[in-house]
Amino acid sequence: MNINVTDRVGASHIEYLRQKLPHAVLEERWQTDKQVTVTVKLNQLPEAVSTLYYGREGWLSVVVGNDERSLNDSFGLYYVLSMEGEEKCHVVVHAAVPSDNEEFPSVTPKVPGCVWGEREIRDMYGLRPVGLPDERRLVLPDDWPEGLHPLRKDSMDYRLRPQPTSDNENYQFRNDAAGETTVVPLGPLHITSDEPGHFRLFVDGEDIIDADYRMFYVHRGMEKLAETRMGYNEVTFLADRVCGICGYAHSVAYASSVENALGIIVPQRAQAIRSLLLETERLHSHMLNLGLVCHFVGFDSGFMQFFRVREKAMTLAEMLTGARKTYAINLIGGVRRDILGEQRTKTLQLVAELREDVQRLLEMLLATPNFGPRVAAVGLLDRKIARDYSPVGPLVRGSGFKRDTRVDHAFAGYKNVNLGVHTGDGCDVLSRTMVRAAEIFDSLSLIEQLLDNTPEGPIINEDFVYKPYQFALGFTEAPRGEDIHWSMTGDNQKLYRWRCRASTYANWPVLRYMLRGNTVSDAPLIVGSIDPCYSCTDRVTVVDVKKETSKTIPYKEIERYCRERKDSPLK
Amino acid sequence: MFKLLKEVFRTGEATVKYPFAPLEISKDFRGKPEHTAEQCIACGACTIACPANALAMETDVAAGTRTWSISYARCIFCARCEEVCPTQAIKLTPDFELAVTNKADLTVKAVFKLADCVCCGEPFAPAKEIAYVTALIEATSVTSADGTTAAVSEDTERRRRMLATCPSCKRVNDLVQIARITDQQEKRR
Repeated sequence: MNINVTDRVGASHIEYLRQKLPHAVLEERWQTDKQVTVTVKLNQLPEAVSTLYYGREGWLSVVVGNDERSLNDSFGLYYVLSMEGEEKCHVVVHAAVPSDNEEFPSVTPKVPGCVWGEREIRDMYGLRPVGLPDERRLVLPDDWPEGLHPLRKDSMDYRLRPQPTSDNENYQFRNDAAGETTVVPLGPLHITSDEPGHFRLFVDGEDIIDADYRMFYVHRGMEKLAETRMGYNEVTFLADRVCGICGYAHSVAYASSVENALGIIVPQRAQAIRSLLLETERLHSHMLNLGLVCHFVGFDSGFMQFFRVREKAMTLAEMLTGARKTYAINLIGGVRRDILGEQRTKTLQLVAELREDVQRLLEMLLATPNFGPRVAAVGLLDRKIARDYSPVGPLVRGSGFKRDTRVDHAFAGYKNVNLGVHTGDGCDVLSRTMVRAAEIFDSLSLIEQLLDNTPEGPIINEDFVYKPYQFALGFTEAPRGEDIHWSMTGDNQKLYRWRCRASTYANWPVLRYMLRGNTVSDAPLIVGSIDPCYSCTDRVTVVDVKKETSKTIPYKEIERYCRERKDSPLK
Repeated sequence: MFKLLKEVFRTGEATVKYPFAPLEISKDFRGKPEHTAEQCIACGACTIACPANALAMETDVAAGTRTWSISYARCIFCARCEEVCPTQAIKLTPDFELAVTNKADLTVKAVFKLADCVCCGEPFAPAKEIAYVTALIEATSVTSADGTTAAVSEDTERRRRMLATCPSCKRVNDLVQIARITDQQEKRR
């Protein structure tokens, strides 16, 4: 749009779309040389998305809704497709929903992967997807008032907490089993999958026939918060906190979305530093997951060994950024900290140590008899299901698809490094684990490559001005898969819209199919294999309703009681 | 099994003695921000840059004070405050042991006096900020002085007076001045 585009990649996709659907395309706008937004007629939206999805090897990244009534009297729908065939680029299919007719034809019957995105738009904007097979709420709680759609610009202040409308749980869990089944509830806070998600397993004996789940118990309203309270630079720090494990990937995705929208050129050195830190983050995240795999198969000594070695990756992050987890390194236009000679030397030393340590631990894990046979052929992700739902990261790579944003859409410093994509063909928990193990060594090698020829020069570009209503995508490959952000700038030094899609969001919808046909005891293992993020509660508050007193019991006390089983802290 | 045992013996003791022995942390670790009130001019740059709203500034016109405060409970240790501070009054230290027994102890405050406007006498900006800017202007006018000393000091004096005037008085003064200029132009005709 505002960029002098010389080499446009992806023009053939638009040509193809124009041929297949002669009168559908209304407008095409290029955000960068590899990003195009095509506006199509609303009634041809499903055909347009499915034509690109199945006809041109498109994968659905995210569905974005936007309240553009103050700009053009309509709601915007953006279906972001990552084109991974011949011409690798991003094509965004856009359609406008007029503000006086709040419905649009659902794409889900043609492309099943759109289901979560369309359910979310229904919740957040009150637009009805006509023909959507699943019209239950996704993001909003069951006791949220009808007709209050938080992301509409005129709906509510971000600080408002509406009164719950009901005391009962009224979410309908779906069971497609033909025969009679028993319900096994898991969560909202289950011990082995600490994530607040509620799972309903429909079982016949020990076998899972079907499964359904409810997420978003901890929806934090970050998008609304960013739009209403924070400036552009401040949101990079908020994005750092989207995930407790791979937050930096979000920070980079957000920053690059704004940089793409405004055509800001980020210095090469800053790009390299971003990539280097993303790999540091991948190191600790993958080691955490390998540790958890050990834990799930009952090999807790292995878990401890992986966590001991993971500490070196944490030290690396602390040394390079000043914090173990929330790196806080990005600003729009570049990074805040350079990597100095001393840090480079120490990094190379830590990388060498890590390579040896991880190698030894992997040999130990594979030699453990209760690992391989326990995880092989468990939690199968069928290739057809994977193609329909567009999952990301080691999950989809474990089913043989070569999808990796770092390679498909090389961003930041990944343009100048050698990197292959590891895939597995087992489609099971074992394949995913082995993909992650292989990627640890990739990350180590990438860090070395990036340090060996780091471009010289400045680390931040501050020579730009913000222009209102520019939009673009930003993307990264987080340890769990592609993170994708869509940002539109506003006219008040704040974002007009920020859509942040974490990788696990794309992976949840296929979980149902992975759970089917396994036993109840496999469930935590399968959930763990998509590597969802974990949160922990480390103390308990006991409230005595009769005496109206409350008492907080420290974690240590509970742990002691668990071991000794005497002197109860509850008395 | 054998490989695990080998690894365990190879590692030895992995547990560190913390909190009984100090924990080694990186040189540039971003820990507790320390504020030096003597250095601070209460300009408010840090409170605008703070992504977490941990820093706040409150003006009490009746008392003629402005209170700067930091809440360590809200702080995310990003060091944006340190980056934007013009006088290096706030700096991050490697201190990470911030637990307190009383929640109020997590907030640290500094109170600054406001200067009164030379025209209307109402308090309007921190006295230290005005002093800082005045000093800056004086320093620059000395270096750029190529005219007579009298002209320079007259100019500096005029700017000093401008700085000590509150925005609403400035607006009124501007109007008066514009009226005078138009008046003179009328007379010339």
